[in-house]
Amino acid sequence: MRTNFLKLSLLALVIFTTSCSNDDKKEELVPAVITQKFTNLPAPATGGQGQPEGGAFTKFSFSENKIVTSDNWDVAFRGTVIIVNGGAKIGIVDEPNRTGNAAVSIVSGAFSTIKSIPLASTFKQDAAAIYAFPKSGDNAWYDYNSNTHLISSKAGKIFVIKTHDGKYAKFEILSYYKDAPAAPDLTSTGRYYTFNFAYQPNSTTTF
Amino acid sequence: MKFKNTLYITLLFCQFSFAQQVQKDSLVVKELLEVKVVTATRTERVLSSLPLPISIITAKEIEKTGVTRLNEILSEQTGIILIPDESGFEGIQIQGLDAAYTLVLIDGVPIVGRNAGVLDLSRISVGNIDRIEIVKGASSALYGSEAMGGVINVITKKPKKDMLSGNFSYRYATFNTNDLNANLLWKKNRFSANVFANFYSSDGFDLDKATPLKNVEKFYNYTINPKLYYDFSKKVKLIISNRFYNQNMNNVALIETEYYKGDAEEKEWNSQVKVEHKLNSKLYFEYELYATNYKNNSFLEDESKVLYDQTFYNQWLFRPEIRTTFSINKNKLTAGIGMNQETLDRTYFNAIVKFNSQYVFVQYDYNPNQKWNILAGFRYDNHSEYASQLSPKLALNYKINTNFSLKTSVGYGYKAPDFRQLYFDFTNPSVGYTVLGYNVAEARLNEMQDQILKKESGINFDEPLQAESAVNCNFGTFYKKEKFKLEVNTFYNSIHNLIDTKAVAQKNNGQSIFSYFNTNAVFTYGLELNSNYNFTKDVMVSFGYQYLTAKDKSISEHFQDYQYIRNNELQTIKIDKSDYFGFYNRSKHTANLKLLYTISTIKTDINLRIFYRSKYGMFDSNGNQILDKYDTFVDDYFITNLSASKYISDTLLFQIGANNLLDYKEPNQIPNLSGRQLFARIQFNF
Repeated sequence: MRTNFLKLSLLALVIFTTSCSNDDKKEELVPAVITQKFTNLPAPATGGQGQPEGGAFTKFSFSENKIVTSDNWDVAFRGTVIIVNGGAKIGIVDEPNRTGNAAVSIVSGAFSTIKSIPLASTFKQDAAAIYAFPKSGDNAWYDYNSNTHLISSKAGKIFVIKTHDGKYAKFEILSYYKDAPAAPDLTSTGRYYTFNFAYQPNSTTTF
Repeated sequence: MKFKNTLYITLLFCQFSFAQQVQKDSLVVKELLEVKVVTATRTERVLSSLPLPISIITAKEIEKTGVTRLNEILSEQTGIILIPDESGFEGIQIQGLDAAYTLVLIDGVPIVGRNAGVLDLSRISVGNIDRIEIVKGASSALYGSEAMGGVINVITKKPKKDMLSGNFSYRYATFNTNDLNANLLWKKNRFSANVFANFYSSDGFDLDKATPLKNVEKFYNYTINPKLYYDFSKKVKLIISNRFYNQNMNNVALIETEYYKGDAEEKEWNSQVKVEHKLNSKLYFEYELYATNYKNNSFLEDESKVLYDQTFYNQWLFRPEIRTTFSINKNKLTAGIGMNQETLDRTYFNAIVKFNSQYVFVQYDYNPNQKWNILAGFRYDNHSEYASQLSPKLALNYKINTNFSLKTSVGYGYKAPDFRQLYFDFTNPSVGYTVLGYNVAEARLNEMQDQILKKESGINFDEPLQAESAVNCNFGTFYKKEKFKLEVNTFYNSIHNLIDTKAVAQKNNGQSIFSYFNTNAVFTYGLELNSNYNFTKDVMVSFGYQYLTAKDKSISEHFQDYQYIRNNELQTIKIDKSDYFGFYNRSKHTANLKLLYTISTIKTDINLRIFYRSKYGMFDSNGNQILDKYDTFVDDYFITNLSASKYISDTLLFQIGANNLLDYKEPNQIPNLSGRQLFARIQFNF
């Protein structure tokens, strides 16, 4: 009985492995996604300094690789706040309506090593008083240094985005300052995002 | 550089002029002699026989350096690093622990009035100091809260012989710095008195003239310290000591682009009444009443003299204590009982807050034979605001022979949550974040409901905030032979419940509300070495070195959360666990080399001191929230201090010198390092 079970398990394992490797072979036919860099996305905000922040969000579409004003945006930026085009309004000033089904999953790693799409359950959307991009804690995209007053993007935080129309992209913020200086200082102009991203136009589960 | 004088020589030193002093030195310095200390056990003990890491700075050493404030002389000691910590205030780091964890005493009683946990040690003039005793490692078993990293006890001079003696001195230095001292000591039969007065002023210094703010603004301060002694009999002695300190400093701030000016005033008063009662040869009592008040007031006005901001701080401590020592042959049982009543009223507190605590301590100093000394004790503190603390300590000294001994100690230390961590209620007017003390946070969060967007999950204030605590271990050796002395101590501190700020809610304005929580477990370990050698009676050299590692346990355990950094091209790369450098602001290596050269023929001393500090990091610069070896560091540096003292006559001393002789400056990274300061000092002794 036990031997049979063992044999069956082994068989199952072989089938599983081969089917996986078959998948892999199929995947290799799909052209690898291209990593692109978007520089100096302006994300102005009014208020701040103790007052509520306001002003229009700068909307970005990964498939179009540009700032858009239409409803087919995936993520949008204002100051340090990032929102996704999915879910419901958080409840902050001058917030656009969510028109798509975008979501974000936050993973750790070097950008190029993130190859697979995370589990569906890890994707989050904005909701009342909930930021899909957390503003503080381990998964916040930045650190604020109270001595230098500088915002630095955390290394190894990769944001896997389910786009407004159900495709996938991954992106990593490199800098919050204009022209992405390697060592920003107080003279650097903030609220300019530079990020790497890769967009997967095909409906596969890898990058 | 520790002169080992007998108490008798110290006594002579206070009385005789310096020319005579030089002669005395020539007689005694051939061999390093013993000195007695009180801080380690609260009874008089020979320094070298103590099982604890302890060091001493004598009046003579202070005088030869020509420095005037306590922070300056402490910064010249091995294992004491003076640096602005994360709060921006300059304090001392001992065994890798920040300034908040060192208790500072004057004549055995504590100084209060800390800024973000840091005491400004430049408040204390060195003009009437007899000696400074420094005990490193947890000492809560005798001293309770704050003595988690160590204790610094400043002991002032006492009149010892029937006569009038004293000195006047004046020192002028770079930045228009003036220091004027008068110290009078008088004794007649049963009465004795000591009056010390000091005036200190400076224009401050400015490393970046382009900005309107100076690194240190212009200030003046004065200290008056009268003390009275009356011996009712040989067995009953009364001591009354008062100290007044007052400082006025320019207060300047740049908020947004507006420039504000005003004043900042500090006032301090300490009063100690003590009766020493020797009941018989075996039983000795000390009854002590201590009260102290520290106040500061500051304001800022805009250019049209309209009041912009005003802050105040008013702290009181009242402390009666009774101590007794019972001598049984060579052994001593010391016990004490006392209470603390503390109050604080300040800006950003809703009401005056009060702490009450009662404590008892017991210590047994046991000498079973010539070779062993065992020190065992504990202290129990009962406190109105946090859980009671039991702080035990055990220390052993084993004398292998007359020259060589081994010492080890294990102790518990703690620091109670301070007033600020419990009662702060502060909103930054320009940025808009809020910081709430733990005990008021819940109620204030409810009141602020309409400003709050979202509370962080998993935050509750059900359990009271715990005291920060440390287990401290030391193992060391003491070796002395003729002209050579070597002390080595290795230390380890394991610290729990470190209190740090954590965001508890997000406000509608996008900023956070913070409160204080017990967060991390950290450890520090290292080695301290002190040595001196007298080549001849005129040439003495000393060398000191400290190795230090200070790390956060959770970073080592969860390194996967910190393993990615951003390189110069802003791309993410992965680093190894071994690349974790440790805490901010900690140098792995610090060292000092001191040379004292006496040219007897012209009665002149040359005193050269060189200090080294290896590289250290101030903040994370590559995006992984910790300090790793790829971060930007403050480069290692040397500081050289030089002074020359000439005894013109028996009573007149003339001194010139330069602190930071080579004018090392790093304006952006070391804001407390002023550059070269030249000085000249004249002292008249009688």
